[in-house]
Amino acid sequence: MAEHATLWRPRGAWADTARPGRHGRREGPPGLIVTPREGLALASVTAVDGAEARLAEAIEARFGLSLPEPGGAHLSGEAGLVWSGPDQWLALGGARGDLDGLGAALRGAAAVADQSDGRAVLRLTGPDARRVLEKGVAVDLHPRAFGPGRTAVTAIAHIGVQIWQRDDRPTYDLAVARSFAGSLWTWLEAAAAEFGCEVRASA
Amino acid sequence: MRIRCPSCGERDNGEFSYLGDAAPLRPDGMEASAEAMHDYVYLRDNRAGEMRELWYHGAGCRAWLVVTRDTRTHAIREVQPARDVAKARATTPAGSASHA
Repeated sequence: MAEHATLWRPRGAWADTARPGRHGRREGPPGLIVTPREGLALASVTAVDGAEARLAEAIEARFGLSLPEPGGAHLSGEAGLVWSGPDQWLALGGARGDLDGLGAALRGAAAVADQSDGRAVLRLTGPDARRVLEKGVAVDLHPRAFGPGRTAVTAIAHIGVQIWQRDDRPTYDLAVARSFAGSLWTWLEAAAAEFGCEVRASA
Repeated sequence: MRIRCPSCGERDNGEFSYLGDAAPLRPDGMEASAEAMHDYVYLRDNRAGEMRELWYHGAGCRAWLVVTRDTRTHAIREVQPARDVAKARATTPAGSASHA
């Protein structure tokens, strides 16, 4: 088949929206620091009914992590597993290719689907990161109810999102279906404006 | 109204969508009479009181739930994963679980 030249180029999910620089309130340090996360490896993992024990073993062997219980996120650096539904998890790798071979490794124990281009991820940190998120979710993110290693699948402005907390600075990762990234950004920019928002170059 | 999802904890009812009565079980389509199919598809009780209903946690964990709710007060007594209810039904003798 003949090769056709095209103008198609890979483009980051946040390239048109998350412009690096200062947004919203100008005075004082930023309340929210946003880093678009590009080039991650993401995959959904759904356990085969009855093969849960075998899946847990295979995950342990590959990641050195146990499978998180509902609402849990087991992270090791940028890699890890985030619970995302009954018998379902989101597998994370810090770089494209990090999850290569996962489907074969889990054959018979889980269905694995690549989500690396399907989800767009932001890292949110800063002293007001929790207050910004609280404007959008009906989930208690206060440390008494949520914290590092916890995740919630919920919605912000009617857009389905998954949030997991990485540390207690606090730092959160937020994943959204890629085609909703622009809509979610509109909400985030408005919600963060009162606190001042610094957008860093994607990493 | 809030529903305590067995996986996600207490969530706003805006995250859920309502299907309806959890009791009707689909008759065997090849064997069932027209009356039985009509009953299954169209006929529902409009109960004032406790009722078992199917809700879908679409904006959360995407699980189907069986919610026992009082239609007069919205008080929710029990929430179970619909999968567990179906599995339990599959292991009970036929006919003994016609009202799930």
